[in-house]
Amino acid sequence: MNRLVIENLNAGYGSVAVLHDVCMEVRESEFVALLGTNGNGKSTLLNTILGFVRPQGGRILLDWDGQTIDLARLQPHEIVNAGVALVPEGRRLVPNLTVEENLILAGSCPRAKDQISRNLDFCYTTFPLLKERRAQQASTMSGGQQQLLAIARALMTSPRIMLIDEPSVGLAPIVVGQVFEAVRELQTTQKLTILMAEQSFFQAVDLASRAYVLSHGHIIRAIDRAVEQIDPEDLRAAMMGLEHS
Amino acid sequence: MFADQFINAIGTGVMLGSIYAALALGLAVTFGLLHIPNIAHPAFVIAGAYVVAMGNSYGLDPLLVALLALAPFYVAGLGFYEFYARVFERRGSADTMNALTLFFGVSLVLETLLLMRFGTNQQSVSVGYVGQSLTIGLLSLPYRLLVPALLAPVMVAALWLYLRHTHTGIAVRAVAHDERALSVSGIDPRWIKRHAFGIAAATAVVAGAALIIIGPVDPFGGRLQIGRAFAVVVLAGMGSIPGTIAAGILIGVSEALVSAFASPSWAPAVAFSILLATLALRPQGLFGARR
Repeated sequence: MNRLVIENLNAGYGSVAVLHDVCMEVRESEFVALLGTNGNGKSTLLNTILGFVRPQGGRILLDWDGQTIDLARLQPHEIVNAGVALVPEGRRLVPNLTVEENLILAGSCPRAKDQISRNLDFCYTTFPLLKERRAQQASTMSGGQQQLLAIARALMTSPRIMLIDEPSVGLAPIVVGQVFEAVRELQTTQKLTILMAEQSFFQAVDLASRAYVLSHGHIIRAIDRAVEQIDPEDLRAAMMGLEHS
Repeated sequence: MFADQFINAIGTGVMLGSIYAALALGLAVTFGLLHIPNIAHPAFVIAGAYVVAMGNSYGLDPLLVALLALAPFYVAGLGFYEFYARVFERRGSADTMNALTLFFGVSLVLETLLLMRFGTNQQSVSVGYVGQSLTIGLLSLPYRLLVPALLAPVMVAALWLYLRHTHTGIAVRAVAHDERALSVSGIDPRWIKRHAFGIAAATAVVAGAALIIIGPVDPFGGRLQIGRAFAVVVLAGMGSIPGTIAAGILIGVSEALVSAFASPSWAPAVAFSILLATLALRPQGLFGARR
């Protein structure tokens, strides 16, 4: 089975430990939500998967097409080329490049460069707005448009798994709805595998088939909606750290 | 005759300015795009001039030697960047002061190596067209300036097209803004910076050919150009490649006019006077984007 597996992951910055014994998995075509309020390690976890933060213990394995790749040994750009894309917090677009140049930049990575024109067509069909604004500088677009561009950029790398870090941050509620709708659309039509970190948890849980709750760097809940109902009050209490399991 | 003097000062100034742009082009890449103040670039140019002189001593045309030396200079540039990256960037201590110190040292080492190998004697090239001039009415354009002056527009146009229209070119324009954005795009930012540094070093041998066609060169000739090269890059606007031609010509023409009508000893002050005046009015330089 194709999946991303995280086993007993410990990570942090210098002597500050942020993640403790994190175990989780994301299977092909799944939409998994990573829930937790600010400062509980969601971004650290995604940045560790992508190689920006070095694990201090444990393993991050990409089991795909009969191959097992140990991501902890790779540099961030190599991890992207192994098929793990990140839509980073704060979007991290190249401000002085146009919309199209931002897309082409990602599309020209070794993994995807043979499919660059097909990927670009797909992005423009999925997000017609980006096609309209292809010659516009990325920095001059609104926050919501930039978020869509960041998602399209991740698609340009032909990902197996897409990690999305807090797409709602800094956006007006109506725009957040549009961004989530775009993500849902991609997931259902393309069967894209997604791990999305989010603190506005009701919306995120609504989209996801499974969810993990991260509190103080520990996974305190793993929820599978196929087998259990979600009690929103219980979930909120867990996320706020009102109870410890 | 005033008109005669004026027209020829402008002509000389445009040609000199174009050559200044050729000298500064590599710095426009390393400093303007990568934000690494490579103070050794003029020393690379002198090294290039020496390579051209060596090739010319075997009877080869200076421009042909420069063309042949592009690849070796590119590779040397990769090496210099790798050295810089290992010393500073990987330890997270890359800053302007460290880069300036390192490359100041590199330029001293290069000068000393040239001095040890070739002595203090000036090197020069012999080509048929030196000494002749193209005359158009009152205007007289010596070929020893005209030929090098034509190199800059060619190099600038080639580099500009490369940065605009190739995948690696786009990555080079992106890397100084956000390395992490490059990683997220699946591109190795260190590889891109090394490659850009190699391109900058390759421009140095062409600029070296330009310099030695104008006149003899000694191991320390780069020092005169350091300030002017930085002035061209900043005046053009950080990262603006076509802007280097305009900035170079602006400085060249002003210097030529001051030399012709005031005194040549004032000329070196011109570049910085223009730079200061421009920065006061347009902090982003002539063609730079506002940040």
